Amino acid sequence: METLAAFFTVWADPKLFALVAVGTFAGIYIGAIPGLSVTMAVSILISFTFSWDVNPAIALMIGIFMGGVYGGSRTAILLNIPGAPSAIATALDGYPMAQRGEAGEAIGITTVMSFIGGFAGIIVLAVAAPVVSDFALSFQPRDYMLLAVLGLLLVGSLASGSLVKGIFAGALGLMLGTVGMDPLTFTERFTFEIPLLQSGISFIAVMIGLFGVSEALTQLHQIDKAAVRQSIDRIVPSWSTVRKHLPLSMQTSAIGVFIGALPGTGGDIAALLAYDHAKRVTRNPERAFGDGAIEGLVAPETANNAAVGGAFIPMMTLGIPGDAVTAIMIGALFIHGLNPGPMLMVEKPDMFWFIVGALVLANFCMLLFGLTGIRLFVKIVEMPRAVMVPLILLLSVVGAYAVNNSITDVYWMLGFGVFGYFLKLYGYPLGPIILGVILSRLLDDNWRRAIISERESLPAFFHGLVTSPLSLVLFLSVIFIFVSQTPLWKRWRRGRTGPARPPAEPGEPEDATLS
Amino acid sequence: MTSNTTRRPGELAFTLFLAVVSLFLLWTAFGISGFEALSSPGAVPMATTFAMLATALIVAVKTARRPAAADEKLGRDVLPPLVFVFALFLLAYALLLKPLGFLPTSALFLVGSVKILSGRGWGFAVGVSALSLLVIYVLFRIVFTVLMPAGIVPEGEILQALRGLFGAGR
Repeated sequence: METLAAFFTVWADPKLFALVAVGTFAGIYIGAIPGLSVTMAVSILISFTFSWDVNPAIALMIGIFMGGVYGGSRTAILLNIPGAPSAIATALDGYPMAQRGEAGEAIGITTVMSFIGGFAGIIVLAVAAPVVSDFALSFQPRDYMLLAVLGLLLVGSLASGSLVKGIFAGALGLMLGTVGMDPLTFTERFTFEIPLLQSGISFIAVMIGLFGVSEALTQLHQIDKAAVRQSIDRIVPSWSTVRKHLPLSMQTSAIGVFIGALPGTGGDIAALLAYDHAKRVTRNPERAFGDGAIEGLVAPETANNAAVGGAFIPMMTLGIPGDAVTAIMIGALFIHGLNPGPMLMVEKPDMFWFIVGALVLANFCMLLFGLTGIRLFVKIVEMPRAVMVPLILLLSVVGAYAVNNSITDVYWMLGFGVFGYFLKLYGYPLGPIILGVILSRLLDDNWRRAIISERESLPAFFHGLVTSPLSLVLFLSVIFIFVSQTPLWKRWRRGRTGPARPPAEPGEPEDATLS
Repeated sequence: MTSNTTRRPGELAFTLFLAVVSLFLLWTAFGISGFEALSSPGAVPMATTFAMLATALIVAVKTARRPAAADEKLGRDVLPPLVFVFALFLLAYALLLKPLGFLPTSALFLVGSVKILSGRGWGFAVGVSALSLLVIYVLFRIVFTVLMPAGIVPEGEILQALRGLFGAGR
């Protein structure tokens, strides 16, 4: 009964209801406008909502997250520019459809499929999370440490295609997270005797700098790029079209949830894998893939929205973020005094069901807003970069200042913005940095707990590692991911399979909007 | 996006800079508690900075081996004048924010940037900036109640006067 009440909180309270709706609406536009990412929006939003109560703040952010993942598909279809990394695969077939004048149909089917995928993800979240969190209560500190390393490695290697650059970014994030007073021994770390550094570097300042300012500076490279106009016709897809693609959408939803639930992988990778899956299982598509096949829209769009629910599973049950956006959501929960992890499910199950309820509502809002207001949408997306870039920069400064009313945070934010600009330019992924900052405390604490419980003995630590099935699986996964990205392994694979086709490039999430 | 076959202008210098910074940070991390214990406060910082140094060196060697990109220039593809100008704009914005206040600084910043970026007249720049600033102000200062430095604008008094006006009208 209490579960039900928590689930319907967001539906019964007009204010929360409106916040989810507004968030979803805004998310669709933010996701759609190339250069504005959900990560950026949620990072800036945290700074503005941190004085709110937790429920309204989370309601707004969930709306933005859900809407944003879907919104990226709009510009992918209309302009061939994926508004978000998770829509890269959508552009492959969506844009050819738009070129034939079928943009309306493409948007319609994308919306309905995102809705179906979103639901699949939420159902799995509702069913699986309580079970996973029960299981997670038996996790040892070393398992948490291994999970954190696993997440960082996955994001690092998959995001940029260069493992070394990914590891560098992840390690940099972990290092930044340790700046300040050590919470266990009160030793100063990387403070250089500067009092301002004792409380650490504001993670919001780092985040806004990396995702707001550096993105805006990158946009300056192509300030003159004009938007292409489109005409829109029929939007709502026929029932027969939906029914025909239902089996495929169920399969790709499953892929989406699974990939989303893995720590470190999110909607972008889920969408690409689902696209690949659709290509293999669709025998006779009406049109070839890459030339406007509807299956090429159905697969990535169900998968990326299913991944949203999936990504909440490790976030809520283990406190381990699935990707940059969930890393930021964890940050938001921390700011509001909640501690995501197995104990959250035990101590505050209401919060979990509140989030599930908000996700369901956001999914409905997405369907509604997705099928309406396309004409207005096209107008807004055509907003010139000459106006958008200064606005992003202004919001970044306001956001960084607002958290602590501190001008120092603004300087940090600007510093990281410029640094992030160069990192991006030279092919370093930014996602692992923020993931590293978030995971730093978890990794540091758990490593120390694990090694202290083994009385500082490395052999005993490794003995524990190989004798516990869970730790062993995690450890082997870490080793496998690491080895599978090394040139030696790649050469060996190539030697076995002959000249393989180039792997599906997940692309650089942050650069995806610019390609 | 970086190409995997050529080296972009400034890439090697940047990578070496990362390596030097990593080395310095590793040295600092060593200074936290040395090799005292595996659970010491310096253990994880040392491990992470060591990983940074090792990966930065690998990237540096790889970068050095690649031929320089023939069709790219530092001043055009890496740090175009516009990016440089905006970095300076942002710095000026941050420096002026506190003494001058949020509204005047933002107005100056917006008008200047929109004018430069759009290449259109002052009327357009001022109009667009005023409208955007109004929306941002109403949304963040009034709806989200974010406190921004008032500076030279007697913001509190104006808001109070406005409230008084609406209060009196009721």
